[in-house]
Amino acid sequence: MIELKGIYKWVNTGSNRTFILKDINLSIKEGEFISIMGPSGSGKSTVLNIIGMLDEFNEREYHFLHESVHQLKEKQRAALYKQYIGFVFQAYHLIDELTVYENIETPLIYQDIKTAERKAMVADMLDRFNIVGKKDLFPAQLSGGQQQLVGIARALISNPKLILADEPTGNLNSKQGEEIMNLFSELNKEGVTIIQVTHSEKNAAYGSRIVHLLDGRIEH
Amino acid sequence: MIKNYFKIAFRNLWKNKGYSAINIFGLAIGLATCLLITLYVTNELSYDQYNKNAKNIYRINSDLKFNGPDLHMTQTSDMMGQTLKKDYPQVAEFTRIYANEGDKLIKKGSDFITEKRAAFVDSTFFTVFTLPAIEGDTRTALNQPNTVVITESTAKKYFPQDAVSVLGKNIDVKNGETTTPFKITAVIKDIPDNSHFKFDFLFSMKNVDYRWGDFTSHNFNTYLLLKPGTDYKAFEKNFPTYIDKYVLPFAQQFIKIASMEEFRKSGNKLEYSLMPITKIHLYSDYAFELTPSGNIQYVYIFSAVALFILILACINFMNLSTARSAKRAKEVGIRKVLGTERKTLIAQFLVESTVTAAISLLIAILIAFFILPLFNDVAAKSLSIRDLLGAKILPFLILLPFIVGLLAGSYPALYLSAFKPIKVLKGNTNAGFRKSNLRNVLVIFQFATSIMLIIGTIVVFSQLRYIQTKKLGFNKDQVLIIDGTRALNKNIQAFKNEVLAMPGVSSGTISSYLPVDNSSHSNNTFSKEAVMTTASSINMQTWRVDYDYITTMGMEMAAGRNFSKDFGGDSSAILITETTAKLLGFDEPVGKMLYAPFDNTGYKELAPLQIIGVIKDFHFESLKQKLGPLCMRLGTRGDIASFKVTAADTKGLVSQIENKWKTLAPGMPFSYRFLDESFDDMYRSEQRAGTIAIVFAILAVFIACLGLFGLVTYMAEQRTKEIGIRKVLGASVGNVVTLLSKDFLLLVMVAAVIAFPVAWWAMNKWIRDFEYRINISVWIFVMAGLAALLIALITVSFQAIKAAIANPVKSLRTE
Repeated sequence: MIELKGIYKWVNTGSNRTFILKDINLSIKEGEFISIMGPSGSGKSTVLNIIGMLDEFNEREYHFLHESVHQLKEKQRAALYKQYIGFVFQAYHLIDELTVYENIETPLIYQDIKTAERKAMVADMLDRFNIVGKKDLFPAQLSGGQQQLVGIARALISNPKLILADEPTGNLNSKQGEEIMNLFSELNKEGVTIIQVTHSEKNAAYGSRIVHLLDGRIEH
Repeated sequence: MIKNYFKIAFRNLWKNKGYSAINIFGLAIGLATCLLITLYVTNELSYDQYNKNAKNIYRINSDLKFNGPDLHMTQTSDMMGQTLKKDYPQVAEFTRIYANEGDKLIKKGSDFITEKRAAFVDSTFFTVFTLPAIEGDTRTALNQPNTVVITESTAKKYFPQDAVSVLGKNIDVKNGETTTPFKITAVIKDIPDNSHFKFDFLFSMKNVDYRWGDFTSHNFNTYLLLKPGTDYKAFEKNFPTYIDKYVLPFAQQFIKIASMEEFRKSGNKLEYSLMPITKIHLYSDYAFELTPSGNIQYVYIFSAVALFILILACINFMNLSTARSAKRAKEVGIRKVLGTERKTLIAQFLVESTVTAAISLLIAILIAFFILPLFNDVAAKSLSIRDLLGAKILPFLILLPFIVGLLAGSYPALYLSAFKPIKVLKGNTNAGFRKSNLRNVLVIFQFATSIMLIIGTIVVFSQLRYIQTKKLGFNKDQVLIIDGTRALNKNIQAFKNEVLAMPGVSSGTISSYLPVDNSSHSNNTFSKEAVMTTASSINMQTWRVDYDYITTMGMEMAAGRNFSKDFGGDSSAILITETTAKLLGFDEPVGKMLYAPFDNTGYKELAPLQIIGVIKDFHFESLKQKLGPLCMRLGTRGDIASFKVTAADTKGLVSQIENKWKTLAPGMPFSYRFLDESFDDMYRSEQRAGTIAIVFAILAVFIACLGLFGLVTYMAEQRTKEIGIRKVLGASVGNVVTLLSKDFLLLVMVAAVIAFPVAWWAMNKWIRDFEYRINISVWIFVMAGLAALLIALITVSFQAIKAAIANPVKSLRTE
């Protein structure tokens, strides 16, 4: 599903070139649950963003579902991730002005899905996550765990093949974190590929494979 | 402490250069507009104030109706002033101006110069008005006939070599074949620009050839100097007594009229009123003013608009300050934690806004300085930037930064200083931007003002265009006018024939009367019956024209025939217009008789005139006026020659005509113009208003957009996180731009909804000045609304697109 071949990313500061990623080779099959670990600044989030096509890289190849991402144009890339990828963030990144319902609905609006269909899909999702009663609340009225639940619901609404989670439990207490991780396991069992970035060994253990990063390199 | 305030203020301005630039530039434009309008308004309001007796000088206005149109005149009879002075002790003095003779030909060296600023005045002129003498005694200067008082610059013009004194020297005035010398008895300082009359030559009234003692002919601008403390409104109540005692008996000599009551009952009017001299310039809508009047309406409108534009700029300041409060919030939080009191913070913010206003004012003065010549041109003024330092404006100018600083700075100061330190230090600063109803109201206000001005501009120019293209009943194009043909004397016919012989001239006519507002007028009373009664008579324009007038002006006959040489007796023939026929009640006017006084006998004997033709109606006055009655009689003398020109090379033709003129009238000034230019002159004040409206509209829109630009910039900055999330969730650039723009566009639409009825009301009021006018169509509103929307959209989308194409990863990092 995902094939990173010799990925390099750097920034030029004056005459110095600082490498953020060096020669990342990573191959991920459909249905895997990958945990990326590593200390702060090791490039975990950057790898995740590159896989999510939100960030650019400087060198070599990235294949996603037989598409050569490095050859695609911005628009095509956007279309690709819109269709296949859902994102979950540490800080949830819900839109404060929208209700739970509207937050979940947003990706569908951008995919030009009709109102009636959207309604049904959001209702399903609310049901599945057991948050029907909270659909008219605003993010500020929810606990962190509940907000993240909404975040995941929003990521799942467009039926992605891949979920990218950047420290999804980072802002949650352990009990809430556990619930979220259980949810991920379940999703994985249903066939969704998951890549998460995490600091916690315990959470990393939920995954089927752990990738360690240090100073922009994969440690073997 | 104060020093610290200023230091921080300057640093803050410097740190946020873009933001400061928007504020300062916007305010500077607003202030510059204010300065210019202040100069303009002060000047308009200062008219005739230079007179020491300004408070006690009044002009007599007449309102007449004698079976014709309503006449509102600045003139009254020669007898009224002296009679009132004789009968009423409240009248300290009276003086008259007789300006009906128009231009004067004055000899300089061997040539003659046309002088327009000439009039005959009473010797009391200088007692009533304050016109200081440089030499000579003005009190007695005009007691004798053949005397003249001239202004300083005229003295320099005619006697450049005489540095010492021009008293006793002669001014030679040509009148027909003869040249009359007038002795200079005094030289006065030039009459100020802000005077409702501007003369360079004041001749003795004793030289006017007039049927003196006529209570019914109104030809003199008459001014009364009332004793201090006299209530002029109360004094006006004496006028009916004056009419009964003097005017009625005089009129009864030639009109069958029993009483004023009967006169009034038949729908006629004879009323006099007093107008304070200081109100003449701005409030008079009377005919035959000595100089074009201003308009108090425009003074109000301009003042209001200037104030609005300043407020718009202040609103930008408020909106931007509160919108970017997030940035200042942290500073406020830290200061509060460090123990700063709220009032200190308020002072800090106010110093900042005042400093901004002061810098803006300096720039505004610069802008005003550079724009003033242009403004003078448009407003037909000669204002100077130095007037800003006058005693009336200077204090206002010094106070201005404080007023503006307070106006623009108080709300942001109160708003920003009220932040709770804990909230802002926790980083919950997003609250600053959103949910500000006040800000929305202010943006709506800005755009409503802009849209109103846009509508105003479109309406004014549509009406002007309508005037330009309306069928007038005559053809104003390609008519060349030569003024001052009286100077040709006996050669006048020869001149006409010689010009007619030139190639490119199709017809020509000699007549003092032109179908434009600012040309000669002559009102006479006619009667349907041989004996004049109030019911049988009608007052109308009487034009003396020659055989070729109708053809040259492109007028058409509706019935009957034009004057013709084939009918020897056309001297007792008369042409009337369709409107006149209707007013007279003639269904078949051709062949009917009208009776008019003989030229030189006054009203005592009536001459019969036969109507030989009806001219299709044509507009001989401004389209502001309803068409009145008009008749034409044959006459071959006149001061103006008009030629219908077909030549492409008009310049060549004019120089050919000028050469001819020089041989036929040696030494006489030659001057020409085109009829369509004179026609346009009638609407000069509307053109001016239109131009100023455009400038105002552009300024208002510009300032509003400047503010909008700033707001969108900050909004985009505030919403970067949200934009990032939405992009990650699949929003396209278009989605994001829509997201950022739609709220503002909604505000603009609300503004349009508010602006439409107000603009409709205001412009309907304006356009009602015109008897002949356009309908204000819905399209004007649609166009103005769309224009505002489009401009707002461009402004907003510039920033919105920038925000939309930014990489979301940067805004979503979680550190």
